[in-house]
Amino acid sequence: MQPKDLYGRQLLLTAAELATLPADVQSRAGLTITASQIQCQRCGSTLDHRTAQLPQKQFYCYQCLNLGRVSSLTPLYHIPEPNEFPQRPKLTWTGHLTSAQAVCAADLQRAFAAHERHLLWAVTGAGKTEMLFPGLAWALQQGWRVAVASPRVDVCLELAPRLQAAFADTTVAVLHGRQTAAYAYRQLTVCTTHQLLRFRAAFDVLVIDEVDAFPFAANQQLYYAVDHAVKPHGAVLYLTATPSDALLRQTRRGQLKLSYLPLRFHQHLLPTIQVTLLPKWWSAIAKGRLPAKLRRWLGAYATSGQRFLIFVPRIDQLTVVQAAIQRQFPTMSGQTVYSADPDRLAKVQQMRQEQVQYLITTTILERGVTFPGIDVLVLGADDPVFSTAALVQIAGRVGRSQQRPTGLVRFVSGSYTRAIKQAQRQIKLVNRKGRRLRDDLSTVPTTAND
Amino acid sequence: MTCLLCQRPLTTKLTLPWLLSWQPVAQPVVCTACWQQFQPIILATACPQCGRAQPHWQVCRDCQRWAAQPDFQNVALFTYNEAMQAYFQHYKFQGDYRLRAVFQTIVQQRLQQLTADQVVTIPVTTATMATRGFNQVTGWLDTGINDGVLTVAKTVAQSQKDRQARLATKQPFGLAPGVDLSGQRIVLVDDVYTTGRTMRHAANLMLENGANSVTGLTLAR
Ligand SMILES: [Zn+2]
Ligand SMILES: [Zn+2]
Ligand SMILES: [Zn+2]
Repeated sequence: MQPKDLYGRQLLLTAAELATLPADVQSRAGLTITASQIQCQRCGSTLDHRTAQLPQKQFYCYQCLNLGRVSSLTPLYHIPEPNEFPQRPKLTWTGHLTSAQAVCAADLQRAFAAHERHLLWAVTGAGKTEMLFPGLAWALQQGWRVAVASPRVDVCLELAPRLQAAFADTTVAVLHGRQTAAYAYRQLTVCTTHQLLRFRAAFDVLVIDEVDAFPFAANQQLYYAVDHAVKPHGAVLYLTATPSDALLRQTRRGQLKLSYLPLRFHQHLLPTIQVTLLPKWWSAIAKGRLPAKLRRWLGAYATSGQRFLIFVPRIDQLTVVQAAIQRQFPTMSGQTVYSADPDRLAKVQQMRQEQVQYLITTTILERGVTFPGIDVLVLGADDPVFSTAALVQIAGRVGRSQQRPTGLVRFVSGSYTRAIKQAQRQIKLVNRKGRRLRDDLSTVPTTAND
Repeated sequence: MTCLLCQRPLTTKLTLPWLLSWQPVAQPVVCTACWQQFQPIILATACPQCGRAQPHWQVCRDCQRWAAQPDFQNVALFTYNEAMQAYFQHYKFQGDYRLRAVFQTIVQQRLQQLTADQVVTIPVTTATMATRGFNQVTGWLDTGINDGVLTVAKTVAQSQKDRQARLATKQPFGLAPGVDLSGQRIVLVDDVYTTGRTMRHAANLMLENGANSVTGLTLAR
């Protein structure tokens, strides 16, 4: 093991690994233990005395075991981050930002330079990765250590090649639980937020993408990880299309600065959600019948060939819905797909290549996956599996292409739930801001690239 | 309460498959679905020497190769299948000591059914105790520390060797000073019976030191 493998990290080491490192490696207890509470210093969890117990008055953390066990038996080792980056990579991306994106990008760069904690509320399809580039390039030029993290592995896997392409003369480190490649000390890292638990005061800039991908409960650990992985005066940027109440509360308290990117890259507003109350939609479909409204909508699709996604709450409803549609519209071709579906990738590919007209799916396609020019239909939008964030993301699948920047988002529901109302409110809010921004932009001269 | 193995909520109602399963009724700690992944060994047809599951009662091929060694009999509770491998990965190697509760009741119950003057457990090395912090076998029984009967030299873990290397292993155990086993019927407990080398070393040592008999009990075979 080399000292740089420990720069800005906090790791458990075997005696053999420790023997290869210089003597001045720092160590500290993995758990803080008092009579009233035990806290893990890696993941921040407060542990139950009895549950965390090992023989002979020792304790361990049962909350972050899959990163290797933290216990009172062995310390965490650390070498302070020295920013040993002689290379200073430049931005090799040659694309252009829209004027709205450019304004936002400049704001982010300023926030990095000012070591701020910042929340960027960017609508789905705003092109937020590209907006990061100028700020990241500036930070890398300063010799700063930078990470872009997300709670979701698939978001990381999508981000990594784009960042690598944008900074082609440096190697981007990619860290997540499913990968086998060894850790390497790099100036730019893409990782899951879970992997941040292995860092300590490492990053001068830390960007968290899709921060609201998980419900708040799971996020306690995330915020702890972020606070410890970033340097004490480092900059933190949270990116989201659907900020949680918790994040918005932090902005109101002044703990986070907030900026908006309320316009999509093509400058159109978000499609709004149309809710139709059909409390008996499921009992009809379960009997193989489509409710009249649904029949009318789908009939129009059968005629026009317009492609669409249908979201349902549960996996076992997929084939039932498909059967009812096929009975009524035998010529329209569709597929069902769910997260653990062994043919998931192939089916998504078929939809992308326009070999099928529609997909019926559970919430897995709510993020990341983009089919240009589709409409969206949510059946049972009042089901608890559809959180506000999920509903906003689902609506955000629509209107993503320059060719068809609009589209229909229809929810079929038994009632207006809080999640539905909040999703509508969030979309209304960003559209209001978007309209204002568009008006502002139209009064200033824009460059030819826009 | 959530299942110790899959973290899904535990429903406390007693379903029929639950009652038909081996899980002792007292406070379940794992869900039925997880519990049913473990494969109990039927004693009536198991190999009388190593305890492995078989369709018919007979001394298995592996055990016939031990013919020159003193007689040794082992009882094993479960087949070492994928679920058991995953269990040991989490309990023993990842060190999740909570998981001792999964088999605590069943190991203790079976132990009570065996006649013993003394129960002896296979110890872990000082190095293991210093890093893992517990003896996985005594974790099921009570204290989680070595019981102090056998001592063990610093060795390469059996799990890191192939079969040939395991069989060639020299006696790693010694008897702790002051321990007297003369005339005693011993039940020797370990986690997994793989080649039998470890248990037979321990059994031989105790027989040489006056034990009347040594019977093995392992969670898995
Ligand atoms: Zn922890
Ligand atoms: Zn379970
Ligand atoms: Zn046998």
